[in-house]
Amino acid sequence: MIPFIQTTLDGVMVGSSYGLLALGFALIFGVMRRLNLSYGPSIMVGAYLGTLLYIQFGAPTYVVAIVAVAGSVMAGVYVERLCFAPLGVGAGVASMVSSFAIWMQLEQASLLMLPRHSYPFPSLTSGELLSVGPLVVRPDYLIMLAAMLAITAALHLLLYRTRFGLGLRAIIENSVAASLSGIDVRSTMLKAFALASAIGGVAGFLVLSANQQVTAMLGMWATLKGLIAMMIGGLGSIPGAIVGGLVLGVIEVHSQTLFGPQVRDLAAYGVLFVLLVLRPGGIFGTAAVSESAAHRGGDRWTTT
Amino acid sequence: MDDHLTGILSNIGVISFVALSAYLLLLTGEISFGQQAFFAIGAYTAGIVTAMWQLPFWLGLGAGAAAGGAAALFVGLPTLRLHGLQFAIATLAFAEAVRILFELFRYQVVRAGEPVGPNGIEGFRNIRYIFEHDVSATQFMLIIYGLLGMTLFGFFLLERSRLGVAFRMIGQDGLLAAAQGVPVFRVKLMAACLAGAIAGLGGGLYAHLTTYVEPAIFDVMLGVHSLAYGLIGGLGTAFGPLLGVVIDIGLLESTRWFAGYRMIVFGGLVAVLLIVRPRGLLDERLVHRIRRLVSRRPPPAPTNAAVLGEEPS
Repeated sequence: MIPFIQTTLDGVMVGSSYGLLALGFALIFGVMRRLNLSYGPSIMVGAYLGTLLYIQFGAPTYVVAIVAVAGSVMAGVYVERLCFAPLGVGAGVASMVSSFAIWMQLEQASLLMLPRHSYPFPSLTSGELLSVGPLVVRPDYLIMLAAMLAITAALHLLLYRTRFGLGLRAIIENSVAASLSGIDVRSTMLKAFALASAIGGVAGFLVLSANQQVTAMLGMWATLKGLIAMMIGGLGSIPGAIVGGLVLGVIEVHSQTLFGPQVRDLAAYGVLFVLLVLRPGGIFGTAAVSESAAHRGGDRWTTT
Repeated sequence: MDDHLTGILSNIGVISFVALSAYLLLLTGEISFGQQAFFAIGAYTAGIVTAMWQLPFWLGLGAGAAAGGAAALFVGLPTLRLHGLQFAIATLAFAEAVRILFELFRYQVVRAGEPVGPNGIEGFRNIRYIFEHDVSATQFMLIIYGLLGMTLFGFFLLERSRLGVAFRMIGQDGLLAAAQGVPVFRVKLMAACLAGAIAGLGGGLYAHLTTYVEPAIFDVMLGVHSLAYGLIGGLGTAFGPLLGVVIDIGLLESTRWFAGYRMIVFGGLVAVLLIVRPRGLLDERLVHRIRRLVSRRPPPAPTNAAVLGEEPS
């Protein structure tokens, strides 16, 4: 029983990083109803800028953290300006492909900055394990879990207690009506995009400092994990992102312990596929998402 | 013709099959991130048939296409009831699962003292039918373009058939198409099946062109690229995705003008292009104009919305 609980606990810890990634994804999707494939590569740009400072000048960890988040936000704003703002509301496909094009740009730019496959990344903790009774946890994953909960709480306050949040929710509900009632839709969307990229930057920094290295796979890894976690939880839902991330983490770690590392990803994709077929809206029901999508004139993905 | 050029042209030809496969689904309005899976299935199937079972090349290609189509039918049945993003992600999940399964797939026989066959993550080496049967690189290129030409001719016939019209109707508005009596699900399933077979055929050619396939080739990047080709080249005609492939592989990958910056140039090009022409270079409007010029018939003046599928603003 103890090994099972330990594995589940490890899964929750890993899952908190997926949950963090999915939060940023869900925020962008929730507001825009469009998929930003460049989400992971934006995080990568920030992380690589931070790593560059760390390697070249031995920058302290907090500087690396700030640069990672700032770089991610900058890249995110670039993506929004180039792929999302100029293309109209109906151009879901074009935006997505365009964000994929920028993915390639950002990834290559990062690799021009630091060409090797992997680089060291500063760690937040000394790497000692904490033991709680018979169980052990890694402190850097505890930080990740705490960060996820804190960011979720902050996001909740922002969405339900501020004018900006009100505007954002109005846009999610109906962007035309929101614009008619005097909300600056474009600038709110840009801010939401920057916020999501910042959350992604934090997630990227925490994951890398737990791994103590950064690799060239970061961009694709972050996009895929964030996307899967968001799809499992429910499109564009904030609590869904958290739950989806944790579920994904637990499934992955359990299947890895049972069947080995290759089956880990296979299980994740298998669960995603089955879930999509049986329950397309994700764990956190379809009602909210599909209803608001219906108000917008159906699924915009099918029309360009 | 020198070897380098032959290699590039053959490569363009083979990748065009995946691009056409993604394009066919785009016509029905569905985005698939997973066409590379059928490409992979076709490649492995054709390789197994010729290199391991020592059966003729054409049989291998046919088996590859059939396997691609069958797999697409199998995936299409549960997923085609999904829409838009959910369908895109379901195909992505399927394709990645297929890639990992190929990483685990081991099936080898001994031929001429050497083990031949898929060997997990190491890949599938020595698909040497082309060399063993003295087919030159140029001849093989002609085979590729012959099959590509036939596929394009198929698309040409399709665009003029009721089925092709049904594809585009569903792509414009599925509900409206259903109201007009189009069996939406069946037609979509047929599109997916055809698309899978085209990708499988391309995969078989690819395996014999490179003599070597490994699971890592068939990752998400290939799938999203093939989707992007159609969107850059244009959704108005089957030449659109081909133009996309030529721009990417012919201009950027094969010349050394942009060494190290290829992705930055290509990425920027696509992003800007999509702002200017959201439905690609050869979009419906341009294709319609060209057709009008060619046929020289005074056409009924089409309204914008009817021809372009542009949303009324």
